[in-house]
Amino acid sequence: MRADIVRIYKSVHTWTGILSGMALFIAFYAGALTVFKDPLARWASPPQPATYMPVPLSEAPQLISKTLAVHPPAGRNFTIHLHDEEHVPARMGWEVRDAGGDDHDESSVRRYMATLDAHGTAHVAETQPSAVGAFIDVLHRVVGLPVDNDPNRWVMGVIASLYALALVSGVIVLLPSLVKDLFALRVGKNLKRMWLDAHNVVGIVSLPFHIIMALSAAVFAFHDGIYFVQDKALHDGRWSAGPPQVATAAAARRDPADMLAPLELVARVRAFAPGFQPTSLQYGQVSGPRAVVRVWGKDAAAVSPRARGGFAALDPYSGHLLSTDFMPGQQNTPNLFISSFFSLHMAAFGGTAVQWMYFLLGLAGAWLFYSGNLLWIESRRRRAPRKSQGMPTQRLDTRLMASATTGVCLGCVAGISLTIVGGKWLHGHVSDLSAWHTLLYYGAFFGSIAWAFLRGGARASVHLLWLAAAFTLAIPFTSLLAWGIPALGLWTHTSAASLGVDATALGGALVLAWMARATARRVHAGAPDSVWSAAAPTSPTPGETSADLAGTIMRETTPNAVRR
Amino acid sequence: MARKKHPPIQPDWWSKTLAGLVLGAALALGCSGLFDALNADMPLETRGQLAMWMVPPVWLVALSGVYGFASGARAWLCLGAATALVLGAWLCVRLA
Repeated sequence: MRADIVRIYKSVHTWTGILSGMALFIAFYAGALTVFKDPLARWASPPQPATYMPVPLSEAPQLISKTLAVHPPAGRNFTIHLHDEEHVPARMGWEVRDAGGDDHDESSVRRYMATLDAHGTAHVAETQPSAVGAFIDVLHRVVGLPVDNDPNRWVMGVIASLYALALVSGVIVLLPSLVKDLFALRVGKNLKRMWLDAHNVVGIVSLPFHIIMALSAAVFAFHDGIYFVQDKALHDGRWSAGPPQVATAAAARRDPADMLAPLELVARVRAFAPGFQPTSLQYGQVSGPRAVVRVWGKDAAAVSPRARGGFAALDPYSGHLLSTDFMPGQQNTPNLFISSFFSLHMAAFGGTAVQWMYFLLGLAGAWLFYSGNLLWIESRRRRAPRKSQGMPTQRLDTRLMASATTGVCLGCVAGISLTIVGGKWLHGHVSDLSAWHTLLYYGAFFGSIAWAFLRGGARASVHLLWLAAAFTLAIPFTSLLAWGIPALGLWTHTSAASLGVDATALGGALVLAWMARATARRVHAGAPDSVWSAAAPTSPTPGETSADLAGTIMRETTPNAVRR
Repeated sequence: MARKKHPPIQPDWWSKTLAGLVLGAALALGCSGLFDALNADMPLETRGQLAMWMVPPVWLVALSGVYGFASGARAWLCLGAATALVLGAWLCVRLA
């Protein structure tokens, strides 16, 4: 590799990295947690009221026909849930989308549920399921912005493109010394060398994961625009027109009471694909001529087209299989190809083991961007002259970057933990809990950034790490408290998924506390000629002689600026 | 013939970035068009999705590779030629 190409790509890597690093930290940290969106929702969901009577799955046909009799519009699109989980409010539910709302915006969706009382009468009620999982997912999808809409997705797309450039340029810069550097983690006095080795090894080892994420994130951000252009340039408008409408004879309205029972439909799907584990039945247009039921589920041995799995489409009246285009393990090659992009981004293959792997890879990715910013700062460090007593002032841009990096990254960690635990404490005490999720997160996030700039990156990093550790510890502590003191009105779920959230948060809190202790040591006892020292001067001190300053300037302008 | 020594690479940040963005987009659209035209027997639902998915990878490879060209002018020339070739091939397949 020619030296001048490496030099050019080093500039590309520095600029793209510094512009996108903090946004990518948020996207990856929130994304790692989004892998376990369902367990988070289950942890946060309040228990059913004591008066609630669950409808057994075997009575689902009565539930459907009686609910549709009192509330016919639900027949357009409703769902029967097969499993009783904490975040499933009732056997039957449906969503109503705001007509003017964005396709991807979950906040404008209203949700309803239907139950049967002791006399077999259907009751419809609006539900407010926990919004915490969706909130973290939105942070992930639009790099920490509050709403998933077009402009925010374009911001995400620009960040994803910068991320792709940073990946390519980083690999080009590393190539000449790859063999020498890959398995070398030089732990020692040269801290920059150690961080650079660690940055390189994490980057190279998780490169396939990062290539998938960069490309698929760019697609998720820009797909509407690309479809629009291709509709004009490639498809002559046929894409937006949709599939041709098949003219059907004016069919009589069908009676949903004639549909096969959900258990019968599930049995047919299981017979067709034994490895497929159904989770829910999504019905569409049940009174019309093209009634369909999508039997959603997962198959750990196959590729799922979406994060929640895939589906087999059946005729709910005859039980005939209509389509397996979206069914895990039953897709044709082109559809499997498309599904694999979604599946590889969303860890929708291989079951729980792969989800944990993605969780760790996501956290490692967040660390990769954090360490990139630290290396940027370290490359611009002013060292104390060896012979004189004076301590150099660190450059303003490195001090600001240190504050921004600690404030944004640790503020995101603290904010997410606070919004998870805060949702449980505020439940029932506030009317609009999802607005409070936003308020809690951004309160902690912007508060952390303000604190980091006020106190400087070094001191603030210790405070913010303890804050993040405390908020994260509050997650399992709340569960313990709720279990020990029922009078609080809180709740503790004992499913493996919900306890897994508690255990993971406990582990995370311990790691954050360990980081806080290590950082405190560095800040107070580490080299004082660094932005990470509490002893470092933030403005030229009167004691600093002009000779020292000249020495500092000399060192700064000498060509060996890249000190490895 | 002795190999000439390479002249040093010109950074030309603006013209190279612009070439990567503009010609990269045209190249990516051309590639997706060529794919679409060559796979006309595939259902539109599937073909259209695959055509959409191939745009960002091609675009981003062009955008990240463009800084390796010797100068901004060479970047425009080479990427422009590649784009013209792909668009020309697409036109031929469409007319054929």
